[in-house]
Amino acid sequence: MSQNPLTLWVGAIVTLAVFSYLAKDNAVYRLVQQAALGASVGIGVVIAWQQVLYPNWWSQIAEAWAGTKPPIQYLWLLALIPGSLWYFQFSRRWFWLSTLVSALFIGAAAGLAFKDQMLLMMPQISGSLKPLNPFAGPGGFTWSYFGTCVSNLIFLVALLTTLMYFFFSLRTENRLVRVSMRAGRIMLMIALGAMFGNTVMTRMAYLIERIQFLYEDWFLGLLMA
Amino acid sequence: MMERLAKLESLSQRWLYLATILLLMVPFLVRIPMPPRGQAVMAAKGVYDTIEACPPDKVVMIDSSWDMGSRAENRAQLECVVRHLCRRRIRFVVTSMVTPFAPDFAARVIEPIAKKAGYVYGRDWVNTGFIQVGGNIGAIIDGMCKDFHKIRPTDWKGVPASKLPLLQKVRTINDIHMVYCITYSPAEQWISFVKGQYDTPVAFGCMSIMGPWYYTYLDSGQLCGMLLGNRGAAEYEALLGHPSTGTRLIGVASFGNCIIIAAAFLGNLGAWAARRARRKA
Repeated sequence: MSQNPLTLWVGAIVTLAVFSYLAKDNAVYRLVQQAALGASVGIGVVIAWQQVLYPNWWSQIAEAWAGTKPPIQYLWLLALIPGSLWYFQFSRRWFWLSTLVSALFIGAAAGLAFKDQMLLMMPQISGSLKPLNPFAGPGGFTWSYFGTCVSNLIFLVALLTTLMYFFFSLRTENRLVRVSMRAGRIMLMIALGAMFGNTVMTRMAYLIERIQFLYEDWFLGLLMA
Repeated sequence: MMERLAKLESLSQRWLYLATILLLMVPFLVRIPMPPRGQAVMAAKGVYDTIEACPPDKVVMIDSSWDMGSRAENRAQLECVVRHLCRRRIRFVVTSMVTPFAPDFAARVIEPIAKKAGYVYGRDWVNTGFIQVGGNIGAIIDGMCKDFHKIRPTDWKGVPASKLPLLQKVRTINDIHMVYCITYSPAEQWISFVKGQYDTPVAFGCMSIMGPWYYTYLDSGQLCGMLLGNRGAAEYEALLGHPSTGTRLIGVASFGNCIIIAAAFLGNLGAWAARRARRKA
């Protein structure tokens, strides 16, 4: 992505150092790991100031000080009070002060989470009700609509049997319940298998991206140029 | 022969790692034609069709919240959609959450494409920079829908919204045609607050690993579309008729999958041979 030779060299050395862990855990790998962690925290603090605190908070106060904004903007200074309260978590004696602000945040978060879940889950419930009658399609019976109904039936069976699997309060002597629970477990295993397949795809993408960087950007772009 | 095969069971995993790395270099040295399927699946087409339906007075919001950690798949997903937007002359606003490095990564992908398409920064597209969400991304998304300028008063370089013509036109969610969120695992709050409250289409670009989690939202119509890993990007590029990063990377990934299948086959063969040898002994 970047053509700066120094960046490419650092990127290549760090990548190779991380790959060296595949052979054996070593000091170079641990050094790179700690350096990456430190660098990301350091850069994160700078960016948090430049892109969040400065434009949203400090510039309002500074502009009020310069007279370009009304003095009411000084009220932003009050944000320091709840902000500082968080740090009382480090004191056993004054810990209760931090609970005031954390209670405020948890209350707001709980309210939003309720709204969030309602908006998210209600369409999921209504989306689970799918047509099963192949003759009730928009153009009557068609093979395409028949296929959709079969797909919907598989979905319904998967949904019900998976739910059944999680009803731990049901007696399992009943043959129908036992079969349903077993089918639910198979459905879960199919879903987990699909997840595992996608996990492999993602890990492979990571590796390919690094190999591409090493070969195209570093080896061909820098060493062979 | 059986003895040699039995040795596969006790083969050090380091050899497997080395073989995988060396073999994955082959598609970079020799172009192996592994084109994506010609017919794009519904998920990618949903994103494509929603962008195609964008009216000229609206903009598309891209939440590009990825950095080095998920660049392997998210880069291609951003690249193909930005290319489509530029082709259709649709203006777009870029936001970033989750990681403070995201605005820089987004700019590096968008700038060359936008420049080539003759897009002017500030007029046709804006990178609004990093938005600190803390632990409550829902509040930020909800706030952005109601008053975008309150959440992002400047762009990522500190230029005020009043000096950026495009941001003057983007005030609430009503000015936005669609939200496309690209990150490792996009926040579901985009669905609940943007689609659920305002019925504005939402699309996701996520890592392959997260696919099964989000397919339920696609099925229920809460997501208008989704680009799943490099495969999704490759499918989108096929729709655009412009093969690029996604197509290339999915070709290499297909080769990598063949290596994994071969390794699993050989490993099982080794285990079978070792068990047979033990029985004989």
